Amino acid sequence: MDLDTTPMTDAVNLRDELEAVGIEEILSQLDRELIGLKPVKTRIREIASLLLIERIRKRMGLTSDAPTLHMSFTGNPGTGKTTVALRIASILHRLGFVRRGQVVSVTRDELVGQYIGHTAPKTKEILKKAMGGVLFIDEAYYLHRPDNERDYGQEAIEILLQVMETQREDMVVILAGYGDRMDKFFASNPGFRSRIAHHIDFPDYSDDELLDIAELMLRDMNYGFTPDARAEFVRYIALRKKQPLFSNARSIRNALDRLRLRQANRLVADLDHVLTVDDIRSIEASDVLASRVFRKAGKSAEAS
Amino acid sequence: MRITQGCFSFLPDLTDEQISRQVQYCLEQGWAVNIEFTDDPHPRNNFWEMWGLPMFDLRDAAGVMMELNECRKVYGDRYIRLSAFDSSHGWESVRLSFIVNRPKDEPGFRLERHEMAGRNIRYTTSSYAADRPEGRRYD
Amino acid sequence: MPPNELMTTTIPTSRRTPPEESNMNMHSMTVRGKDRYKSGVLEYKKMGYWEPDYQPKDTDIIALFRVTPQDGVDPVEASAAVAGESSTATWTVVWTDRLTAAEKYRAKCFRVDPVPNSPGQYFAYIAYDLDLFEPGSIANLSASIIGNVFGFKPLKALRLEDMRLPVAYVKTFQGPATGIVVERERMDKFGRPLLGATVKPKLGLSGRNYGRVVYEALKGGLDFTKDDENINSQPFMHWRERFLYCMEAVNKAQAASGEIKGTYLNVTAGTMEDMYERAEFAKELGSVIIMIDLVIGYTAIQSMAKWARRNDMILHLHRAGHSTYTRQRSHGVSFRVIAKWMRLAGVDHIHAGTVVGKLEGDPATTRGYYDICREDYNPARLEHGVFFDQHWASLNKLMPVASGGIHAGQMHQLLDHLGEDVILQFGGGTIGHPMGIQAGATANRVALEAMILARNEGRDYLHEGPEILAKAAETCTPLKSALEVWKDVTFNYESTDMPDYVPTPSVAM
Repeated sequence: MDLDTTPMTDAVNLRDELEAVGIEEILSQLDRELIGLKPVKTRIREIASLLLIERIRKRMGLTSDAPTLHMSFTGNPGTGKTTVALRIASILHRLGFVRRGQVVSVTRDELVGQYIGHTAPKTKEILKKAMGGVLFIDEAYYLHRPDNERDYGQEAIEILLQVMETQREDMVVILAGYGDRMDKFFASNPGFRSRIAHHIDFPDYSDDELLDIAELMLRDMNYGFTPDARAEFVRYIALRKKQPLFSNARSIRNALDRLRLRQANRLVADLDHVLTVDDIRSIEASDVLASRVFRKAGKSAEAS
Repeated sequence: MRITQGCFSFLPDLTDEQISRQVQYCLEQGWAVNIEFTDDPHPRNNFWEMWGLPMFDLRDAAGVMMELNECRKVYGDRYIRLSAFDSSHGWESVRLSFIVNRPKDEPGFRLERHEMAGRNIRYTTSSYAADRPEGRRYD
Repeated sequence: MPPNELMTTTIPTSRRTPPEESNMNMHSMTVRGKDRYKSGVLEYKKMGYWEPDYQPKDTDIIALFRVTPQDGVDPVEASAAVAGESSTATWTVVWTDRLTAAEKYRAKCFRVDPVPNSPGQYFAYIAYDLDLFEPGSIANLSASIIGNVFGFKPLKALRLEDMRLPVAYVKTFQGPATGIVVERERMDKFGRPLLGATVKPKLGLSGRNYGRVVYEALKGGLDFTKDDENINSQPFMHWRERFLYCMEAVNKAQAASGEIKGTYLNVTAGTMEDMYERAEFAKELGSVIIMIDLVIGYTAIQSMAKWARRNDMILHLHRAGHSTYTRQRSHGVSFRVIAKWMRLAGVDHIHAGTVVGKLEGDPATTRGYYDICREDYNPARLEHGVFFDQHWASLNKLMPVASGGIHAGQMHQLLDHLGEDVILQFGGGTIGHPMGIQAGATANRVALEAMILARNEGRDYLHEGPEILAKAAETCTPLKSALEVWKDVTFNYESTDMPDYVPTPSVAM
């Protein structure tokens, strides 16, 4: 790690330092590419500044311990937790707080075994792959099953806690999941709470932000709404949010996939038509309106 | 005596930091690192016991060092070596191997000579340590 | 430098013709129909041995010759003559050609280029149909390609520079009996060059004295010792004496170090029967390796390679005598061709140059030889003297050996030039050590391990080499004294055999 080899110093030009590590680039990329998430972006800027100063303090000999960097990301599904974890990993890497910068993303199934003796090797296997980078544990509260005393999740938790404490310079752990459930999880596992340095809450997207996300995704795939289609999609968002299992940006992505399907179906239905680039790119109002969301709000799960 | 198998046996014993740098080199080549241990270091004993499986898809040496330290806790009185496997076509074998742990005392080998017809002699090498039962060879 | 930055001629199968050659590579002049077989003398280029429009088949063997015609001889005619004389032609028209599918059997010169910066010399590319050769026989291949043409009067000189061996032909050969991977597995040595030494003095040691040198060198830290090429069975030491004492030394050194050791027992002898007898005895004594000299001939080499494969023996080849025909740039056979033949023939080790030592070898050319020995695929690299893409079709890799005038102080350069899969042989550099043979061996081994350690740690070992060695010498007196004794020894002479093409920045816009 370059922290160990940088010579002791007594004056630092902050601008040079920022440029040298290139995190400004990552932060502005985050601003550009992620719609909304104001409070998250602010928190990340704060953390980045803290780490930059920490790095300088270390060079000045004012601190020597590896700081605790483990984090928790709370919020509903589809609010950008995984994407932000990737950016955080590059920031930590650029600043020299992790050596490689990879993100290993897992859930309970990859950490906990089903038989006695299976859990420790499984957890260690994942930990070894995450060393040098970030371990992202989604829906971390599933590790703990209060109803089952002999659940193997506890074994994974103990190994995790130990590594989070003793190998802070080797790996950063991010625990993620719904806010209320994470609160309960931390309440019954105080060991985790005390080892988490940064809590970041991911708010749900507003309707306008969801529309922006949809347009950005479409642009990336070389599609676009016609003005009518856009108007209908605004209505779609409002209706969809009221239905069960809404998961923010993820639901938008799924909706767009189905729009493309219906558009293709519509185009293929008229074989005599000579297609222009515009035809191929355009999502029309009818494509949106065919969604089941517009029918009387059904009992269906993830609506079509 | 000092057994000189492996890549770095003629150098002073490697520190953990030096070991870690060699492991990182292996990982950067895309090789899987394996930890093996034995109490019978005969030169033709190819199959030392495996400490778990070779570690695939690791990015950082810290994971291997974690396992090595675990292995040392259990088998610190024996020989431990790291071997790196290359799965690419044309190799599919070990690409680097070196000893990272030795018993405090290395008794070495006995050379037995068995006289045959003419002037021919059959030689047999055996570890002095292997005279004792497995598990108690370096007590 | 990546190949796309090179401004050189393209690979020969391409039809691209640089402007200065356009006059030379003109159309076919082949006489066809009834006139072709009229009795008398016809120019080779009119007989069908010059076919500039010919597209070589994937199964063709292609040879590249450096042709130096006598003054006044047309280079195309000279090249066509080489094609003719190395395949079906004789000096006059023969009607019996008409009893055969003659056009198939005629070798076809399809391209002639002037050699850069060498007035009067031409590169002739000649394609041979696969059916011209017996499968799996270097003797037949070489008899065809170099058997007849090298004394041809209209030529001042002729050199076989390179050959493209089609996969269809490669697959008819056994290839190296053991190969680099299995040799390393058997020897339990991974991640570093192997170390060897040739026992010195070359001649005069009794078997007992000879074994002493072997024991000291192996115990000191070498992996191998080696008989010299002319150590066979002479009045001062008959071969059985040598084998018996050497194997005692090997076994003692193994027990003393816990490592596998070997000594190349030279089984070269006057007859195949004698060689087999010696090889069998080496096997009976438990040797892991035997050795032969290039001078025993291609057939004997292939026989010994088959024997080695059958008997789990590593087969070392000493390229004794090769310089008589490989060294001069204008005449003979390039060593890169010999290396290709030997990989087919099936030896496991071949001396391929040191770059920095006392024997011939410029870095770029030597790099070409090493690639031929060790890679499964050689892309054409004119700057290394490699003219053709060569697929080896998973034939085992051949371990190159660097021997002659090298010492521990050059370890960083050796590793940089020659890489990891090589045997470094420090004969004088071991046995001539002021503190004795064991100390000499230890100095080499410590220098090598220190250099590999530094390389793997990502250090700029080539430039920091002397520092790395000095640091290692702090805890190793033998290395300190080796560095002191040989600090100024280098062999900087002009090479006689260098690539004709040098990399220049591309001018393409």
